[in-house]
Amino acid sequence: MSENAANNIMETKICTDAIVSELQKKKVHLFYCLECEELARNIAAESDHITLQSINWRSFADGFPNLFINNAHDIRGQHVAFLASFSSPAVIFEQISVIYLLPRLFVASFTLVLPFFPTGSFERMEEEGDVATAFTMARIVSNIPISRGGPTSVVIYDIHALQERFYFADQVLPLFETGIPLLTKRLQQLPETEKVIVAFPDDGAWKRFHKLLDHYPTVVCTKVREGDKRIVRLKEGNPAGCHVVIVDDLVQSGGTLIECQKVLAAHGAVKVSAYVTHGVFPKSSWERFTHKKNGLEEAFAYFWITDSCPQTVKAIGNKAPFEVLSLAGSIADALQI
Amino acid sequence: TASVSNRCIKCGVRSLENHSGHRSLDFLSNGDPISLINPNSSSPITMAAATSESGSKSSKRVCLFHSDETRDLAERIVAKSDCIELRSINWKKFDDGFPNLFIQNAQGIRGQHVAFLASFSSPAVIFEQLSVIYALPKLFVSSFTLVLPFFPTGTSERMEDEGDVATAFTLARILSNIPTSRGGPTSLVTFDIHALQERFYFGDTILPCFESGIPLLKSRLQSLPDSDNISIAFPDDGAWKRFHKQLQHYPTIVCNKVRMGDKRIVRIKEGDAEGRHVVIVDDLVQSGGTLIECQKVLAAHGAAKISAYVTHGIFPRSSWKRFKLDTKGDPAEGLSYFWITDSCGMTVKEVMNKPPFEVLSLAGSIASALQV
Repeated sequence: MSENAANNIMETKICTDAIVSELQKKKVHLFYCLECEELARNIAAESDHITLQSINWRSFADGFPNLFINNAHDIRGQHVAFLASFSSPAVIFEQISVIYLLPRLFVASFTLVLPFFPTGSFERMEEEGDVATAFTMARIVSNIPISRGGPTSVVIYDIHALQERFYFADQVLPLFETGIPLLTKRLQQLPETEKVIVAFPDDGAWKRFHKLLDHYPTVVCTKVREGDKRIVRLKEGNPAGCHVVIVDDLVQSGGTLIECQKVLAAHGAVKVSAYVTHGVFPKSSWERFTHKKNGLEEAFAYFWITDSCPQTVKAIGNKAPFEVLSLAGSIADALQI
Repeated sequence: TASVSNRCIKCGVRSLENHSGHRSLDFLSNGDPISLINPNSSSPITMAAATSESGSKSSKRVCLFHSDETRDLAERIVAKSDCIELRSINWKKFDDGFPNLFIQNAQGIRGQHVAFLASFSSPAVIFEQLSVIYALPKLFVSSFTLVLPFFPTGTSERMEDEGDVATAFTLARILSNIPTSRGGPTSLVTFDIHALQERFYFGDTILPCFESGIPLLKSRLQSLPDSDNISIAFPDDGAWKRFHKQLQHYPTIVCNKVRMGDKRIVRIKEGDAEGRHVVIVDDLVQSGGTLIECQKVLAAHGAAKISAYVTHGIFPRSSWKRFKLDTKGDPAEGLSYFWITDSCGMTVKEVMNKPPFEVLSLAGSIASALQV
């Protein structure tokens, strides 16, 4: 009898532990915008606790969105997330319409996952009359209705300027994540014979990332104005004999990275690679980085980006030197917070 | 002490403006307004301000900004009033498609009444205009007014199923988030909003002012040679609810849509079209299918002439081309007139000088609304 009792107690304990472990993980219903479908599938594949949900994205004849959230009743009492991509001003309104409605459907909590917070190129006022559109975006996001479970969590990766975290009002809870762990993991996979160091194209990037990469020797570049030209110079550090990885939060047309690469090569770098979290690349400007077949030496050994900008990921396919490091695992983890 | 005194006097003046215009005018023309409020004050700034206000006969000077699309309407508004002056914004774009915006002479509008004339003709232009709308009231302006002649997303303003997304409510939420200026909440001027309940979509952080284009129509009807033979037709109950009180001195005809199998047929529910010049009135037109069906039914019931009025001529994909002028005296084949306002700037450009279309400008109504 006592032996049976002991066994029962042990079994109960094991079962209880298992149940507690499972219960500690939230089940999350993940909605997504059209261009984020692939990333959404990758996130769901990372966890049994994330299920995909669908939205009908249609338009009326006048161009305004005609939207329907499927299974709206079934998400009552559930944790809900929306994966957004504001890749152009034209798609903001339709996604905001869904984002403003989801927390009102009696959900247990609402999370907005916005891997790339856009309008990063204009976040300050240098002159009275400048319009800081990043602040406009933060205002719109801060206006998300509060769900029954409390304010919306907003998950953003490598926001362009550190002060932008203070643009959000207290009605939302911004969670700032970074893609740098994906880079450090990838760098560890490089051959040990390569001496890897990190280069920052400017002081801003150094401020952003140096603490996250402090176990690598660093090189810092700087932009200097000479007449109308902006020249990139080596400010500190020594790239001679090294495989140099230029790290920044985003790339637009890529001019700065190319100038950096030239300077680093001129100072003796054996190889140059690049990492940016957000590959914006307007007007297909990524094409200037592809390895040409005209016999020229390849400029970049690797160019790592994440999948925060789905249109870029789709456009570059698997063209060298590009390699996509997916944020799916990191987002799946963030959805459990 | 001086600043406290100024503030007190300013408050006094503002409260007086809330009284009847006559009282306000009488007070301001007194010539010695300061003595009535604070006999001891002799501040030259206050004197100058009071004199200036007195000289303008109670009209506010308003600085009017506008989007690219609303430039023409803005110029018409300015032409209506000496108290409204046009201001500029640089609308540029970065390579990634996001707006690069600059409000010119931002310091010059401190202490001024400011308005922005918006047009959300497509979702693609909402963000750039919104960025300006959110920035203007923060520039130490006396008051901020958003003029949005056409409040769009009218086709999605209710939830029939759980999961429907009422984008009109989204837009109202976004506008209710406009920062409050130093002079108080933003006034929002909009014309013939599509559904009457939409006025309640706005939070108390904004003051919506609902105007109508119908007075322009009535004025135009009175100038017609057959003005004593006009009947008004409403294409559905919704339009009747919206407008019948404003047009009650005309005989009315009400149509409705009846479902017969998969088809939607338009019928006359009440009223008589025989021998009349019938004017179909609605707040907006999209592709125009309903108006054309109404026209056929009214012609079949003996209308002598048919015209149409809508405040907002949206006409996606150039659908205005479906409407022809009645050139042979046969109302089944064409309209005598099709009146629209200039609330949708792109349509105005397309239909200008193309009968049966005629544009009735909202400029005068907007100029008046800016004085509220």
